[in-house]
Amino acid sequence: MLNRQPGDRTLPTLVTLLVIGLLLMTFDVRSEGAGVTAVLRTGTQTIISPLQKAAAFVVNPVVDLVDSLSNVATLRERNLDLEQQLNEAEAEVIAMQDALARLEVLEQMYRLDATATSIGRTVAQIIGRPDPIDQTLIIDKGSSSGIAPGQPVIDSNGYVVGSVQNVTGGSATVVPIAVGPDGVAVTVEDQRGVAFPQVNSRAMRLDILEADAPVIAGQRVVTSSASIRFPAGYPVGVIAADAAPSNDGSLTTTVEPLSEPDSLRVVIVLAWPPDPVTAVSTEDDPEPSTTTSTSTTLDGSSTTSSTIAEDG
Amino acid sequence: MRVRTVLIVGVLLLLALVVQTTLFSQTAVFVPDLVMLVVILLALTRLRPELVLGVAFLSGLVVDLLGSSVLGLRAIVFTVVGYLALRTRERADLGRIATGLWAGLLTLAGMVLLVLVGTLFGQTVLLGEGVIDLLLLVPLANAVLAWIFGPVVVRLVDRDATAFRYA
Repeated sequence: MLNRQPGDRTLPTLVTLLVIGLLLMTFDVRSEGAGVTAVLRTGTQTIISPLQKAAAFVVNPVVDLVDSLSNVATLRERNLDLEQQLNEAEAEVIAMQDALARLEVLEQMYRLDATATSIGRTVAQIIGRPDPIDQTLIIDKGSSSGIAPGQPVIDSNGYVVGSVQNVTGGSATVVPIAVGPDGVAVTVEDQRGVAFPQVNSRAMRLDILEADAPVIAGQRVVTSSASIRFPAGYPVGVIAADAAPSNDGSLTTTVEPLSEPDSLRVVIVLAWPPDPVTAVSTEDDPEPSTTTSTSTTLDGSSTTSSTIAEDG
Repeated sequence: MRVRTVLIVGVLLLLALVVQTTLFSQTAVFVPDLVMLVVILLALTRLRPELVLGVAFLSGLVVDLLGSSVLGLRAIVFTVVGYLALRTRERADLGRIATGLWAGLLTLAGMVLLVLVGTLFGQTVLLGEGVIDLLLLVPLANAVLAWIFGPVVVRLVDRDATAFRYA
């Protein structure tokens, strides 16, 4: 089937390139994406991202138009559904404003510093993906907008999408939680566990090592305060199937993520952990403040503890 | 390789890269891998085989640099696909449909290799939802595009209006 002409140098060239490729892969894995490879990535993305932004500027309206035309039959139902969602959201906002007002009063009573917990947000547009099989998202904001590697990314509903991996001046790549290499520390009611991505599935596997109660389908899974990658309390997904603790006290079930990276156009990058400068100024503040400390154990798990420190 | 040919190949790959990462990243069913397709079609041109392999390697490297998977993964896959394309290019000379089928089969080989090597190197970002569907959808899309645009790309790179006219 394969034809080989005598005297050609195709095979030696192939072998040479394969060896170079394997060396590159080994080097990248060993350096964990830092050093020269990080510089190469940043350089390439810096060159390509302006072209991608220009193409996205032209392509997005066309795709939106095609989407609208293909969904014209369901447009009315969708509008009604969205109106209902808007009403519910407005009601939630009013309830939230009441809660915030009460929180403010309590913070003043106990002299808590609320500024230490505020998280900056950067809205970014998704301009593409590297190829059909790579689930990474490319966004149009980068380090010039304050985005840094490792920062958490949520969608406009507040659902966790993933985290920032590479950053250039004007663009960044985001790895969704459902395909990322690491698990996400989560909480279901009062039980702490870790949600891991699964192969060829949108659903994530939830492991709770010390379960003291069953979990029920539909229960909301949120980021845990034990997470070193995400701030606590952001919705990750919902339990997909009921599960009870086994004899050894562990529990395993599946979580259906709430965010849908494939259909997203806009994401929000959270400036978290908070700016170190703010943290330093908070430490210098003689007022009593809320502090959060995070420690990582040898087995890779992490613990976070929050305490109210009082001076004097 | 003349400067003009270098420019044509460069622009073709850049165009494929930009269109793939923007337009075709938003489509659900028609999901071609344009950069891999251009590499496959370059095997049909009069470019020296070693150069085709070099272009395949560099193209894969650029796609690697844009994504989050390990550097060199697509460079290896595209080089192997380019080699297979060079060794079997006579099969594509039979007609437009043969060109499409040939490109589709090579894309399938490339996708399988990408998933296999990616799995070996723990690249979870390549193994997300619908990866099995993509193993079929991407080769199908590439086959259709090769059937339509294959001869045009060869004529453009070779600057030969008579190339791939199929007697």
